[in-house]
Amino acid sequence: MEVPLEAGDTYLLPERISDLTGLGGFGMAGELLAAFIAAFIVGNLMLAMTGVAGPWAKRKITAAFTDRIAVNRVGPWGLFIIVADAVRLLAKEMIIPENADRPAYDLAPIVVAGSAMLGFAVIPMGSGVQLADPEVGLVYVFAVAGIASIGLVMAGYASANKYSLLGGLRAIAQNIAYEIPLVVTGMSVVLFAGTLQLSEIVAAQSEPLFTIAGVTIPAWYALVNPFAFVLFLAANFAEVGRNPFDTPEAPTEIVAGYQTEYSSVYFVLIYLGEFLHIFLGGAIIATIFLGGPAGPVLPGIVWFIIKIWAVFLLTQWLRSALPRVRIDQLIEIGWKGMLVLSFANLVLTAVIVALIESPGLWG
Amino acid sequence: MSTGLENGLEVSEDDLETLIGDRALDREDHVNAPGFVVRPDQVQEVLTDLRDEAGFDHLSCLTAQQYENRYESIYHLKKYADPTQEVSVVVPTAVDEPVSQSAAPVFRTADWHEREAYDLVGIEYDDHPDLRRILLPDTWQGHPLSLEYDQEQPQVVTLSEHENPVQPDHHDTESDTMFLNIGPHHPATHGVLHVKAVLDGETVVDVDPDIGYLHRCEEQMCQSGTYRHQIMPYPDRWDYVSAGLLNEWAYARAAEDLADIEVPEYAQVIRTMSAELCRIAAHMLALGTFALDVFGDFTAVFQYAFRDREVVQDILEDLTGQRLMFNYFRLGGVAWDLPEPREEFFEKTREFLDDLPAKAEEYHNLITANEIFQVRCVDTGILEPEVAKQYGCTGPVARGSGVDYDLRRDDPYGYYPELEWNVVTEDGMDNYSRVLVRMQEVKESAKIIEQCIDVLEEWPEDDREIQANVPRTLKPDADTEVYRAVEAAKGELGIYMRADGTDTPARFKIRSPCFHNLSTLAEMAQGEYIPDLIASLGSLDIVLGEVDR
Repeated sequence: MEVPLEAGDTYLLPERISDLTGLGGFGMAGELLAAFIAAFIVGNLMLAMTGVAGPWAKRKITAAFTDRIAVNRVGPWGLFIIVADAVRLLAKEMIIPENADRPAYDLAPIVVAGSAMLGFAVIPMGSGVQLADPEVGLVYVFAVAGIASIGLVMAGYASANKYSLLGGLRAIAQNIAYEIPLVVTGMSVVLFAGTLQLSEIVAAQSEPLFTIAGVTIPAWYALVNPFAFVLFLAANFAEVGRNPFDTPEAPTEIVAGYQTEYSSVYFVLIYLGEFLHIFLGGAIIATIFLGGPAGPVLPGIVWFIIKIWAVFLLTQWLRSALPRVRIDQLIEIGWKGMLVLSFANLVLTAVIVALIESPGLWG
Repeated sequence: MSTGLENGLEVSEDDLETLIGDRALDREDHVNAPGFVVRPDQVQEVLTDLRDEAGFDHLSCLTAQQYENRYESIYHLKKYADPTQEVSVVVPTAVDEPVSQSAAPVFRTADWHEREAYDLVGIEYDDHPDLRRILLPDTWQGHPLSLEYDQEQPQVVTLSEHENPVQPDHHDTESDTMFLNIGPHHPATHGVLHVKAVLDGETVVDVDPDIGYLHRCEEQMCQSGTYRHQIMPYPDRWDYVSAGLLNEWAYARAAEDLADIEVPEYAQVIRTMSAELCRIAAHMLALGTFALDVFGDFTAVFQYAFRDREVVQDILEDLTGQRLMFNYFRLGGVAWDLPEPREEFFEKTREFLDDLPAKAEEYHNLITANEIFQVRCVDTGILEPEVAKQYGCTGPVARGSGVDYDLRRDDPYGYYPELEWNVVTEDGMDNYSRVLVRMQEVKESAKIIEQCIDVLEEWPEDDREIQANVPRTLKPDADTEVYRAVEAAKGELGIYMRADGTDTPARFKIRSPCFHNLSTLAEMAQGEYIPDLIASLGSLDIVLGEVDR
């Protein structure tokens, strides 16, 4: 049953499940159960992608970039290393520093991982997979993704380690400096689409931009406004703390930053949170710049996952090839460069939109 | 005054005698240089005169040792302009009160050297800014190279009885600084280095490298080995990242001068070629690990550097049978001839040399041409040439500061004088220059190897003498002393030896280039950010095995 994602006509996954299973007949409790099942499916899909496939793929990708072979002993293409790793990581002793600030220290990994999971709730992944579609979808995504900063600074100070503290401070300074350009650049997309609702933004991108040799190029905002796309990509890398902006972790400088003192399950959670954030970043980019699940032949969700992985691949490429900027340079780029550029982009977009929508202004 | 002193070029022994005058109590000639015995309270005066009047601006090494009736500090002075001009200043002190004037106000590098002399031998230096142990832990009892040291004495002293060397915290009520232990377990210290850093936010206020975690008594082990065979394996273990043959050459050169051994020319060519192969391998590693420090992870550059270094390692393995601890040089030559079939060896080496320019281009594209890399490295970790000389810096670190000093050219040995190559210098004085110097030195080394192979290929088959006739047991005359250095991968690697008529040296002192280079870290890092401190440390290219010995 293919349901087109049109304005005001979003057939969300919880509703679909409740209709298919007849849970809707049980009133409120049935609705809740359907919502829970839907969230369970989406959550597991994302976890499978980030927590299971992600680290394995990262090994393979980095190995390809750095002229190595990577895992190939356990199972075909080393796939079963995922199981071995899971057992290894979960079985490790959890070492908690003596002076750790306990509730904060324990909460931080959950906050980091959880905030990213929340973000996926409103992403339209195609093939009818979308949990909720609030009118303020884009703002919601930025807001919940921003919660991670609190988790990072909690991890930083609660670990009672100076390297963690430095990492936490770096993380918070970096996130503040890049959150604003990120959101401002995202707003330029809102100016185009005229809505904050993510399904609407996706729908707006399905319109044809132009046609070359019989192939219709859709109006993906990456093509409409490449400048905003590049800005957003850069700000996103800083936001998720990946090269060339991986200063909060910076293994050669401050050991591992805010995650220095985390081991075993907590380490897994923090690491998972980081991966989730990379994938959430990819999901946001795919949604507001790359036409969401749009694409020929294959089902929408497949295209959507391909786009997320493309962004992930890019982060790994940069990680292998680019040096890290220094923290002061990073802040300088953020406040003096990105912020100015993002506002310039916003003004530029506003002018273009005004010209398109009111052709009379052309004179 | 004579002309030699005025123009500062060539200073004869007579000139020096006039300059030092009455302050010289005695003469004590070493194999490499004239020695002047000076009163312990006139050290600064004499050294200042030698530096300012006679141009001896390079305190290459300080050897401390104990005789039955006295302690002795020997200051080995050279000139950066011409290292063949050498002079030794010998400062004896009484056994019951071993106090000597410090040279630290004259040469800053004397600071660490005198700490080492105090630590290992037990001489105390007056007027020293900070006389404490450097290699051994603060809890150590006694001075291991002094004659009355009891080797059987147990050395387990619990930390609670003494100050913990890794300070748990540091509260300063006056300022808002934070004390941070960088190392001994840290991803970017290139071994077990402990840097005590005081931070003001992210800015480095003070740096104090704490070394000695890898101290393995190398000097003492060499003192208990025989000249002929038992010492040669040790040099491989100083700078162990593939600079082994360069280190072996340091010992070979010093010992050959001490025992007056002539090395056949054919062996010299092989030595020159293999040493330069080692230099390439060492510089590749330096490049890779520096990229590791700046790029942030085990990135492509690091792997590429290792991939290319692997080829060199294979060639060295073919030649010496070893990949890490070569033990290939012998006094008077090398262990064996090139591997058969020779053509294959030549071809393999040539192939590597032919591939090198393309690889160098790749590195330039990936590293030095990268704008972020330039932003990170240009104008960070500044080391002024005058400061570099004060600290006795040599090798790529000095050449990156524009100090045109290379023993292969300035104090020729081996087959180098017969070959065409250049000494690379850069005037940037920063982290970037030091990287550039290493990358270009790889190319220069390739030139040297190429020419050596040409020579070796043409060499007549019946004249391949790899080893001079050296007696089975070497017993150099008692009280001959020699200090000789070669240009190792990291700089001037010198060895001082004193013979006492037996088949083992009475004193064996290693002058480690990394030791000197590392002592400049504070100069480079103070006032910079933590990432620059890490980058500077990486650009110094230290190997703790050589720093700590």
